Amino acid sequence: MISRRDLYRYLTMGLGGAIGFVLGAPGIAYLLDPILRRVSGGGGFVPLARLGELEVGVPRSFPVIRARRDAWVKYPPEPIGSVWLVRQPGEGAKTPVVAFTSECPHLGCAINLEADGKAFLCPCHTSKFALDGKPMNPVPPRGMDSLEVKLSSDSDPKISVRFERFRTMSREKTPLV
Amino acid sequence: MFKHLNDWLDDRTGYRSIVRDTLDEPIPGGARWRYATGAAITSAFFMQLFTGLLLMFTYSPSTTTAWGSVFYVNDVMTAGWIVRGIHHFGSMTTIIMLVLHLVQVVFAAGYRAPREVNWWVGVALLVVTLGLGLTGYHLPWDQKGYWSTKVVTNIVSCTPFIGPYLQTLLVGGDEYGSQTLSRFFVIHAALLPGMLIVLLVVHLAFVRKLGPSSPGKANDTKFWPEKAFKNLVAAAIVVAIPVALTLWNRGAPLDAPADPSARDYPARPEWYFLSLYQMLKYFPGEREVVGTIFIPSGLLAVLILMPFFDRIFPRKLAHFVACSFVFGVTGGVGYLTYQAASADARDASFQNARRRANVEAKRSRELALAGIPPEGAGYLLSRDPLVHGRDVLERKCLGCHYYDGKGVISKDEHGKEVMSKQDAADLKGFGSRAWVRGLLEKPNSSTYFGNVPQCGGMERWKKSSKLTSAELDRVADFVALFAEVDPETSAVEWANDPKIAKHPGLEAFQKECGQCHVVGESGLISEGGVEDAPNLFGWGSNRWIARMIKKPGAPDMYGFLDPKEQMPSFAGQLTDDDVLTVVRYLRDDYPGAPRAERKEKAAEPAEPRK
Ligand code: FES
Repeated sequence: MISRRDLYRYLTMGLGGAIGFVLGAPGIAYLLDPILRRVSGGGGFVPLARLGELEVGVPRSFPVIRARRDAWVKYPPEPIGSVWLVRQPGEGAKTPVVAFTSECPHLGCAINLEADGKAFLCPCHTSKFALDGKPMNPVPPRGMDSLEVKLSSDSDPKISVRFERFRTMSREKTPLV
Repeated sequence: MFKHLNDWLDDRTGYRSIVRDTLDEPIPGGARWRYATGAAITSAFFMQLFTGLLLMFTYSPSTTTAWGSVFYVNDVMTAGWIVRGIHHFGSMTTIIMLVLHLVQVVFAAGYRAPREVNWWVGVALLVVTLGLGLTGYHLPWDQKGYWSTKVVTNIVSCTPFIGPYLQTLLVGGDEYGSQTLSRFFVIHAALLPGMLIVLLVVHLAFVRKLGPSSPGKANDTKFWPEKAFKNLVAAAIVVAIPVALTLWNRGAPLDAPADPSARDYPARPEWYFLSLYQMLKYFPGEREVVGTIFIPSGLLAVLILMPFFDRIFPRKLAHFVACSFVFGVTGGVGYLTYQAASADARDASFQNARRRANVEAKRSRELALAGIPPEGAGYLLSRDPLVHGRDVLERKCLGCHYYDGKGVISKDEHGKEVMSKQDAADLKGFGSRAWVRGLLEKPNSSTYFGNVPQCGGMERWKKSSKLTSAELDRVADFVALFAEVDPETSAVEWANDPKIAKHPGLEAFQKECGQCHVVGESGLISEGGVEDAPNLFGWGSNRWIARMIKKPGAPDMYGFLDPKEQMPSFAGQLTDDDVLTVVRYLRDDYPGAPRAERKEKAAEPAEPRK
């Protein structure tokens, strides 16, 4: 037999829990929305340039132009990032072009080319990369992130790249979905 | 370990004795249900604070983004509709609770000495809460919030002397715009809640100091657990009401985005202000300020002066007056609210306008799922062929044209519905294969040029035509292709495209249609010249129809007709968006269009909530 006092105590705790749940559960679900409802960020191929525009061993940066959804807004196609293209030596090589996203694997700044064009340099915390994307100092956790490249079969092939973003500050190259 | 940490914390803060004191605090006269309204209101405030805070995570106060962010919370985000619904219906619950509490306090003569100051704090809390309701209504920047707040700020401007300045300050200028929204947002989400918290703390502190205004007869009891339980039951009721209303109504309402050019939006305030709205009807014209300013501030003044009644009247009589006043006002408010609601329920034109507003709300939320243009949610409908294009068609085109066998319907002087006379072609499906085929079959039908004698060329052709029905089919296939020309393709490029140059309908077209019509330039597809006729290059395309609307008298259109017999030009009367939407409406080129063969460009729609 429970006392009146205990009855009140249990009822109070039960009721408090119920109120907390009714308000808290939707509140938490709402706050977790960006995780619960991942919006896929496209990830299709974007045309960037023609092979003929590139010189062997001279990196060039091209904007990625794509329509974009930002929460409730739909933006028309506009630059949403940029990609470094490096043409590889040798006619008819298996990979005539290598593409790197300009997003730094360290903490996401935009990687630039050094003034002499011999290496990539990130202006934020001096991550340095060779033209093949390998890290040249211990600042970045990994090399520059290469992107999948597709060439059309024209006589002057069109270069398209699958534009993706990757997790920063990790040894592995993990795409963000 | 845990105990250790607690000991340390208690040593530094003394929290144990604070908690114990609170729990064991004696409640004079025992735990009574009627003390619970205060707890109910406090919980309601916290509920509003909590849900409001959550909404601020997404809400974006600008004229371009406000509607979109509220839409996103409501229709897309996980549990967003519940959070917003609780906040919306919670505001009403709070106000009802406040009124109940006020009635109860007056009944118990709680305004009397020594509680005057706390009574005034309570009245201030009521005013702040009403202010919160008023400003919050505006924030979604939907039709409802936009128009009713516009009314409210205009009422503010009626205040004697300072009104106009007050209005300009509130609106942040002379026009409704970006400044208005950010001002209302700060008032709603920072200023008033801040005031409310301070007032609430003061109010509760006074209650503790002075005790309840009418202690019960029982012995004192400790706060924990009986009083705590009763408070929590009150809190549970206050939470349950908005939750139930949210589930029942499937969330809070959201109208179409604010449209300052709307013609017949039936603006109404939130229901707890309906009585004020109704009162305006009794004070027309110059005397309006009586209803909008004098009566409400008079009522407020009486509330404030209530503690002094005792000095004027004998104590018993003063209490009687105070009670009658409060019951009278509550009854009056109820009566006016009922009057307003029932007047609207009986008003057919209000109901019509409301129905239209609901259709627009639904449509804009559908469209918004595919993304809102960066220029703002206001463009959702103004660029929508189904809503805006149709509207332009009715206002500008259907005076002469028909659409699907109907013109504009209006009422004559006897109140009978009459349809406008048809003076020009029926535009339904204009540019489609079906329209062309019909024209080739019976050009003198009223659907085509039957009511347009100046365009008798097609009929004269029909009388002498030797084309078989199969040939006409092919010609219709051919001409229906014209509309699909890419705007960047020149006439020569187009004519050399094998799709055109090798089309089975080309030969028959050249043999007869080409006698009068040229396509692009003479000699490209046909020579033309036997009779005057419009150039058919791109016929039925967006560009062609838009040109017909803006420059019907151009030499390649109907410039060969006497200016009096041409279609009037609408250049200068319509914006580019107007023209484009009406053209796309005619071409069934919009999401949800009836004709399936026109392919919709599939945008990647956001997942609507289940
Ligand atoms: S972000 Fe590039 S070096 Fe840190």
